[in-house]
This record gives sequence, structure tokens and C-alpha cells, in this order.
Amino acid sequence: MINYKSFTLENGLRVLVHEDKSTPLVAMNILYDVGSRDEDPAMTGLAHLFEHLMFGGSVNIPDFDTPLQLAGGENNAFTNNDITNYYLTIPSENIETGFWLESDRMLELDFSPKNLDNQKNVVTEEFNQRYVNQPYGDAILKLRPLTYKVHPYRWPTIGMDMSHIRNTDLDQVKSFFFSHYAPNNAILALTGNIGYDLAYELTQKWFGPIEKRSVKPRNLPVEPEQTEERILAIGRDVPSDAIYKVWHIGPRRSEDFYTLDLVTDLLAGGESGRLHTKLVREKKLFSEINAYLTADIDPGLIIVQGKLMKGIDIQQANESINEVIIGLISENGIKDEMEKVKNKFESSNVFSNTSILNKAANLSFCELLGNPGLINSEVDTYRNVNHGMVAEAIKRYFISSNCSTINYISTRKEK
Amino acid sequence: MMNSLQRIQPPVFPVEKVVIPESKSYKLSNGVPVYTIEAGTEEVMRLEFIFRAGQIMESLPLLASTCNTMLTEGSVNYSSEELNRMLDYYGVFLNQSAEKDSAGIVLFFPNKHIQKVLELSHEILYHPVFPEPELTSLMKKRLRWYMVNREKVQNLAIDQFFESLFGKNHPYGRQVIETDFENITPALLSNFHTKYYTPENMAVIISGKIHNMTADLLNSYFGNISRGFMKTEEPVGIIKSEKTKRVHISKPGMVQTAIRIGSATINKRHPDYPGLKILDSVLGGYFGSRLMKNIREEKGYTYGISSSLSSLDLSGFKVISTEVGRKNCQKTIDEIYSEIKLLQNVHVKEDEMAVVRNYMSGEMVRMFDGPFALAESFRSAWEFGLDNSYYYRLAEKIKTIETDEIIELARTYYNIEELYEITVGSE
Repeated sequence: MINYKSFTLENGLRVLVHEDKSTPLVAMNILYDVGSRDEDPAMTGLAHLFEHLMFGGSVNIPDFDTPLQLAGGENNAFTNNDITNYYLTIPSENIETGFWLESDRMLELDFSPKNLDNQKNVVTEEFNQRYVNQPYGDAILKLRPLTYKVHPYRWPTIGMDMSHIRNTDLDQVKSFFFSHYAPNNAILALTGNIGYDLAYELTQKWFGPIEKRSVKPRNLPVEPEQTEERILAIGRDVPSDAIYKVWHIGPRRSEDFYTLDLVTDLLAGGESGRLHTKLVREKKLFSEINAYLTADIDPGLIIVQGKLMKGIDIQQANESINEVIIGLISENGIKDEMEKVKNKFESSNVFSNTSILNKAANLSFCELLGNPGLINSEVDTYRNVNHGMVAEAIKRYFISSNCSTINYISTRKEK
Repeated sequence: MMNSLQRIQPPVFPVEKVVIPESKSYKLSNGVPVYTIEAGTEEVMRLEFIFRAGQIMESLPLLASTCNTMLTEGSVNYSSEELNRMLDYYGVFLNQSAEKDSAGIVLFFPNKHIQKVLELSHEILYHPVFPEPELTSLMKKRLRWYMVNREKVQNLAIDQFFESLFGKNHPYGRQVIETDFENITPALLSNFHTKYYTPENMAVIISGKIHNMTADLLNSYFGNISRGFMKTEEPVGIIKSEKTKRVHISKPGMVQTAIRIGSATINKRHPDYPGLKILDSVLGGYFGSRLMKNIREEKGYTYGISSSLSSLDLSGFKVISTEVGRKNCQKTIDEIYSEIKLLQNVHVKEDEMAVVRNYMSGEMVRMFDGPFALAESFRSAWEFGLDNSYYYRLAEKIKTIETDEIIELARTYYNIEELYEITVGSE
């Protein structure tokens, strides 16, 4: 049970505080309700590039990292389709430095054109390192536009084309800041060795004076229902064939989210998941296989991906995945497996909440979903899923007209 | 809203003296040492079994790692499927690993399942049967993973780096090749297991909100395993580094080149180590380091560059690692050397030292925050026969090191002629 208190400043900043005196540190997490889904299709990758620029200097502070390191702190950030999340940990005696730093970059950025140019290079190298210079690295880039035709989830967070960020200028970056970075578009969570009163006082002092801004309203196109199966074959110089299969699911807040989460755990949670047991161990069709859901706020995906063993027919491998999924409809042996994944979910939840940084990130995200209490109720919701719900979800979502597949084929002669 | 808030940095307080909770220790009836660290707020534990059964003990490549992986592939009482299913059922997260020196398992689990966890650990560690079909299928899988890993420039670079430092024939440096996957047999595994997974070769580290039955249960499952008569063998092979300092491996079509620059060096047992750790931080050990500022933040050649310092039982090494755009490879290498030369010739200014000192002091607080971090920090000193006094020495050095000493250390340990330079990329 994670106890927390919350308050909202006049400027709209939502704040959550969870005190944990067992640590000498405080974690500070700021979530901005902006991600790559909020980008202009002609300027993708901007939200993530922007995250890099947030370290390049703000109106009163030329460099974010150095004063934080001077105070014994450490920080990082990530951007995804939905959010941009900044976090730091710092010894509790120096927490005010965290407030000073984070409030200043919410107030106003001040980075140089040189810094913008340089971060464009850094992000290009990041793109190359993650997606170009890795075997199978581009599969996920191909998967998005195959699956989404209209919704902005059709491009990856790093951008659909590096030319987009190359062409971004300072004015566009500034306008992005004022349309999305605002106290009324952010959530602050403080966890660890900090009491509510001090958290309240410091938040008022540093964030209180920042004025509310008019945030660009979100009005995203709705992805039309997929009506027929999509298959894409890609040939690459890689050691073995691979398969990526995806199915559309509902939004993060839909009722069957936890049912589908449990389905992916039945399929691929731990060494004893069904896909691994049946297709890696028993049938020896794959060298590795995994399943997960994207947990996106707008309607997301279930992804199954695996690499084939030498000489296995890709069609047979595809069918075998479908068979394992359909097999979950049968009650045969399912009861113990349901109990197993529920125990594992509960355990994983407890472990995740042993870290103040995770607690801060989870509280912020649950608040964004509309209810910070989710952090405590998720285990029960997951426990309440029964086999009837699993069978129904399988029948509803795992149909071929809802499925897209990439057959990633090795063009090497010697496989 | 008008206000008179001065947006200047609030006072920074030096990080208070690092306080490290002391571990307790006791021995099982058969002499196996157990170390416990009581910490945390949740009803969970971390339980680690360590054996001196790493690569250093293997006569053939892959033997140590395969033996470790096969521990959960079937035992006297349970099939691999049953073992894996039960571990998941009881909410256990199991990590298996065989490193250069040691090997073992770490289990994270809810306290209420302590008895089952100990029963399964005992089964996994002392009664594996190494079934042939599981082994064959594992080796086929591992070969596929290996082939994918060999496509990555960073893996090719680090493997070559170790070969150059420690020699082709020493377990620290030996590279795995495709045919190695055909040589492992159940008999070899069983023999390796009998020799090295023994009570005299074992230690246990426990942290978390430790269940009050732990000591008794541990003793009942592991305390009566008799110690063997076999004398533990010492590792074979002599470290002999390669003569060639510069190696380029050509991997056509790669847009980035992996660079690894470094050499074998002192380990934690050496009195200069804490100072070298600080020098390493200045050079490339944190986000504000010189390499990061120069190569990433100034020049934009890379997404990341870092340096690190690691200890091995028989040696140690320091390595600078990065992946850079092909055309910037030589420029990056030149900049790395010029940063090293700068540290050898020019005093680090006190304001930069203040950042490094305070950042590292904060890092030490993080190293001892929570039951899992505590256990890992304990282990990484204990493995070298050191205790918390090592960390107190490091903390003291962070506060007191003078810039003369940094220059001295850079000259002694970063002699550019002695550094190996490995690059992997196209051309």
C-alpha cells in the first residue's frame, strides 16, 4: 500500500507526495502530458528532440546537469508516444536544488542555436545506434505505419524520418514549448525522504509563480477499424528469419486492459509462458519469442515477436503462434496458469514499488490516467480477471482481420 | 502573479558522511558463510548463492555459462518445465549468471514463500541432472543468439578488447567461436558442477526484510551437504596480453563504428584504486564527464560515450566505450587521447572537482539505498576480500583527493602507448 497525498496549485500543476523515510534520497518526477502523438506529421520527432533540449539551459540556469551533480543528484528523461517524463534523485538535504532546476525549465527555456544543431546530431546518432546499426533494428519502425494508417502512433517517437528534425528551426521549437510545457499540463510527484509540508511549501515557492498557459488542445484522428489482414515481407542480411505480429486493442483505460495484460503474461510471462514452453522448448520453432502490450493511452497494440530456428518455415511458425493464442480459449490447464501469472503480477508490483523512482513515475502516470489510486488497486483488478474474460478477449481481438504481420526474412544463403 | 523570488541556486549542502549498514554473518553447520543485510520496507527478500565457478575455472569455452544455465533445465525431482512453472507460481524472479570469476543464482521473492524458494534453490543448485535433449536444444538456441550478437559492432569490439588484454588462451580473453557450441556434453557439465558447485566454494548473501525462519531453513537445506574431499583446483592459464595495440575489425555496411580504448589495470585491492576511480569519473564516468561534454555535447559525434573501471580476481581493466558515426571515428579517437593528455598535464580546476566530489558522494548514497543496492555493493567488495572499510576509504578519497594526485594517476595508469585501441565498423 502506497500512501500519498495530493494537491493542485492555482496554476494547475498537480502534485503527489509519498513519504518514505527509509531512504536518504528524494525522487522527483515531472511528467508533461505531451508525446510524439502531439506532433505535426510533417515535423515528427520534435517531442523527443525537445527532451534533449530541456538539458541545454533555461532562463536563469545555463546548464541543467552541473548544478544537480554539484548537489549530489542524478537525472534522466524519456519520451514516448504519449508523455515526456523527467526524473531525478537527490540526497534529501539538497532537494530544493531539484525544485529550482525543474521549475526554471518549466518557466522558460534558453538554449542556443548551436545547442539545437548539436542535439540534432546527437539524436541522429541515437537513431543510428538504436535502429540502423542493429540487426532487426528497423522492424519496429516498419511495424507502426503498417498498423496505424491515420493515428499519430503511425510514427515512432524518434521520428518517421530524420530529415524532420534536421529541418526543425528555433521558432518551431519555441512554439512547441509554449503549446505543451505548462504547469497546467504537468504532474509533479515527490517520493522518498520528504514530508508533505515541505513538499507543499517548496512547490508553492518554486512552481507557484509560473503562469498558467494555454495548452494546444489535443484533437487526434481516430484510427479506423482494420478490416483485413496485413502482411509485409522484408528481406535483410540477418542470421535468421523473424516474425512480428500485432493486433489492435483498446485504450489504456478500457475495461479489458488488464485482461489483455494477463493474456500477454499467459503467453510470455517468464520462462514458463505458453509461447516459450510450446514453441521454443517443445516444438523448437523459435530461438526466442516474446509478447507484450504497448500500454498506450489511445488504442494500442499487442505485439508478439520471435526469431526462428534454422530451417523453420515462416508460414508454419506464423500458424503456430496463432494456435498457441487460440489454445488459451480452452479451459484445459488454465486455472493454475491464471493463478501463476496473478502471483507473478503481484510480486512484480511489490518489487517495482521498492524503488522511490518507480513509485514517483507510477504515481505520476496513474494521475495522468485520472486516478493515482490505481497504483494500489491494479493488483486487485488484475486478480479479478477470470477465464471467461480471457476467452472473450481472445475471440474479440485475435482475429486475422485485426492482425498485421511482418515476415522478416534473412537473405543470407547460409542460415 | 508578482513575486520577488530570486531564481538562484539554493544553498547546496555537502552530502553527509555515507553511512553503510553493517552486514551480519554466520556459518551453516557445514561452514558455508552467510551474510545478511536487514533493510527495506516491503515483505520481500533478495537471496544470492555465489560459487567460484565462473569462466576462470572452465577448460572449454561456454562450459561455465552452460553449466549455470542448465541448473534449471531439470533436476532429480523436477523437470525443467516444472521448475520454471513453480518459480513463476511463487512470484520468484530468478537471475542466473556466470561471470568471469564467479557464477551463481539470485532470487527475488515475497517472504511468504521462503520455504518453497529454499527447497527449489537446493534442488537447482545441488541436484541438476543436465539432460541431453535439453542441452542439445539449449546449444542450438544459444548458437542463434550468438549469431545475432555477432552482428552488433559493440559485441565484436568488447570481445576483441578482452582478447587483446588477456590473451587468446586465457578464459578472460578467449573468444567464443561457432564450433564451441558443439563441444559441451552432459558429462562435462556434470563434472564441472561436481567440482565447483560445492559447499566449500559457496557463499550466501541475503538482504531485505529478512524472514525470521531464514537461518533455520537455510541450514536445513544447505547446512548438511557434506564437504567434498576433492581439492578445489586453481584456475589454469596465464594472462598474456596480445602485442598488437590497434585492431580494426571490418564489418561492411555499418553506419556507426564501435570504439573501445583501454588496458588491463589494478583492481579494488590496490591502494591507488579509489583515486583511479575518481580520475575515471572526471574522464568519462558520469554525464558531466569530459568525454561526454566534448564528444557528445560539444561535437555531437555520438549518443553516448563513457569510461569505466572494473575489477577481476586476477586483474582489472579500464575501458572507454562509444559508437560514433563512421566519418567521425578518427576524430573521436584523437579527442579521447587529447582528453587523456590534458589530465596528465593540467590540474583539474577546483570547481570541476567540486562537481565530481559531490556527484560521487551522491552516487555513494545511491549505492547503499535499499536492500538490493546494499547487497550488490556488499558483494562487489566482499568478492575481493574487502569490507565496508573499502567504501569508507573511497568516500574519504572523494572528499580529499588533490589535483596533483589526479595528474600523477593519469600519468601512471593512462600511458597512451600502453592503451589498446579496438575499432569495429565498415572499411
